[in-house]
Amino acid sequence: MDFDLNEDQREIKSVARELLGARSTWARVRKAAESGRYDEALWRELVELGWPGIAVSEENGGQGLGIVELVVLLEELGYACAAVPFLSTAVAAAILDRFGGEEARGRWLPGLLGGETRVGVGRAGLIIDGAEGPAALLVHDGRLILVDSAREPLGTIDPTRRFGRVADDEPAGSWTADTSAVAAALVLAAIAAELVGVCQRALDMTLAYVGERRQFGVPVGSFQAVAHRCAEMLLHTESARSTAYYAAWAIDAGEDASVSPTEAAALAAAAAATGAREVTASAIQAHGGIGFTWEADVHWLYKRAEVDRALLGGTAGHHAALARAAAARLAARA
Amino acid sequence: MDLTFSAGELAFRDALRAWFAANDPGEEPVGDEDAHFRWRRDFQRRLADDGWAAVHWPAEYGGRGATLTESAIFFEELGRAGAPLPANVLGLLLAGPTIMAWGTPEQKERHLAPILTAEEIWCQGFSEPDAGSDLAAVKTRAKQLDDSRGALSSGAGCEARAKRERTGWVITGQKVWTSGAQYSKWCMLLARTDPGAAKHRGLTYFLMDMEQDGVEVRPLRQITGESEFNELFIDGARVPDAQVLGGEGNGWKVALTTLMNERAGLAFFLQVRMRRLLDRLLGEAAASGRLEDPLIADRLGELHLRAEVLRLTAYRGLTAIEKYGQPGPEGSLTKWMWSQTNQRITELAADLLGPAALKDGGQWSYELLRARGNSIEGGTTEVLKNIVAERVLGLPRSR
Repeated sequence: MDFDLNEDQREIKSVARELLGARSTWARVRKAAESGRYDEALWRELVELGWPGIAVSEENGGQGLGIVELVVLLEELGYACAAVPFLSTAVAAAILDRFGGEEARGRWLPGLLGGETRVGVGRAGLIIDGAEGPAALLVHDGRLILVDSAREPLGTIDPTRRFGRVADDEPAGSWTADTSAVAAALVLAAIAAELVGVCQRALDMTLAYVGERRQFGVPVGSFQAVAHRCAEMLLHTESARSTAYYAAWAIDAGEDASVSPTEAAALAAAAAATGAREVTASAIQAHGGIGFTWEADVHWLYKRAEVDRALLGGTAGHHAALARAAAARLAARA
Repeated sequence: MDLTFSAGELAFRDALRAWFAANDPGEEPVGDEDAHFRWRRDFQRRLADDGWAAVHWPAEYGGRGATLTESAIFFEELGRAGAPLPANVLGLLLAGPTIMAWGTPEQKERHLAPILTAEEIWCQGFSEPDAGSDLAAVKTRAKQLDDSRGALSSGAGCEARAKRERTGWVITGQKVWTSGAQYSKWCMLLARTDPGAAKHRGLTYFLMDMEQDGVEVRPLRQITGESEFNELFIDGARVPDAQVLGGEGNGWKVALTTLMNERAGLAFFLQVRMRRLLDRLLGEAAASGRLEDPLIADRLGELHLRAEVLRLTAYRGLTAIEKYGQPGPEGSLTKWMWSQTNQRITELAADLLGPAALKDGGQWSYELLRARGNSIEGGTTEVLKNIVAERVLGLPRSR
């Protein structure tokens, strides 16, 4: 039993934190968001560093690392709220590498690893980077389907990223192999991991603010109503982190895991969807009037959180699936 | 990251499972507290006979020198088998480790073995009416008893004082929330020995014999109707010097050893017990078809999520302690998470089962009422949030 990142994973995390801290400042994120474009300079740099291929096998041109490492990077990109198409690209690449078959890999992997091809990731009504590009990977009924039918752009409250949706109500999908449930779990785990970083950033910004801002002659963080809110934020952040790591590990461990990737990902998705809204909304509240201003930058985290929550499909479906799975296990034991 | 048990941990778990399979704890006695206590005491004796009573104790004291993970496995399996917490849980988890850390060789020799066999039960005399969350405010007073024979009559002051012999302490005060005091032979007692010293400095930790005239135990009737807790009225109780633990004036440090041991192992037992409760509710919801109701499924699934988050977070905390010697930020969250989730399970039972869950003397009624104590006992949620805010998040001290 070792529920912790190893040395290498910690190293990846701290290198990413440092690099993004310097390159993806709020000024840069704001500029990209206001112009409605990705931060191309940052994206080129990340592509040159090989980040999109972190969880792609070396024989297919990637770094040959696992989903835990992917999740660690996603956490840091979420922390930076970076305006780059990393999530869709890295997740699509990892999925094609693992489950894609030779033809799909040959067609799309080089472009994904080179940072030029966009394969959208999401669900029918909301796809990250879903409008452009040759295809999109959609979570549908707990499985992943590949869709190349018509898609259209969709503007959302989160202008740090591009979104699209499937034009028809019923997406025409192909590729529903046995492994597609694991692939769907990977998509959910990835979005949940990004939200862990979003939560951590919201918490860190809030702690800095309430420790500094003084009213009635004392820092507002010394008021229990504020301090307890911060404690709740930590609880949600760590709950999302425990489950996101669990899901990533379950996907990597495969047969060795005592839990199915589907179930672990449902835990991660539900915890992240709940936590991200609570934590980022709390961050705005704890910042007071300043938190409601455009300049304070807390709102980018809230917007990312709400859109990611929608990408995860909210909580009710995951809760119900978890309840049914737990009840079925009990029935099988009896 | 590896969330599977090692071969050694699996062997430990299998040996335990085999033992529990051969040692059915039997039906839990309901409605008779003394019978319930005897059931727990008998079961601890059976555990002790086969060396399972205190797996986390070193082998030289009758334990198995179990790792933290193995200790967690023990409590998980105990809960899984439907077995009770050992009758002397406070002795095994708190008094034993505190005596091992601070005790003299004589104290270890005298006290550890009877703790293991449940021959001598222990209770914890820390909280007082005016010292709950603010524990260092204890007022119970311990005064040194001087054998002053001759000191006044001889007139040779200095010499006489040098000859004075200390023969122990006289204790007067009141303790509250003392679980199991009615069954206890010994009490871990925190008392003030130097009222002039700073709040945390004037305290001393005593091992007090409960079987004496100066100690009166009055059961506190709780909202469930039963009496797990007691008030302790101490009026002139005697404690010999040899029963001071860790030295005079050192009580706060010794008490911290006790408090640090308080949550570690129990957390896993409570978590598994909570899981069993949730599984019962899930089973009843599935059997009655209520699981088909999306609102019910949503709430049940959320509780399943919370139970899993608690389990995972507890294991993360365990890894942090094993690797870095101290829990990470997640370590201070588990007790809070547990109390909140356990309460919600019982509330959902009341919503789902209606009057059937509110019957006088029923199991769910008991769980519903007992759960109200969860967010108070062992640190109120409000205080836990203060601790998280100040010590984990580094916020300024709350007011």
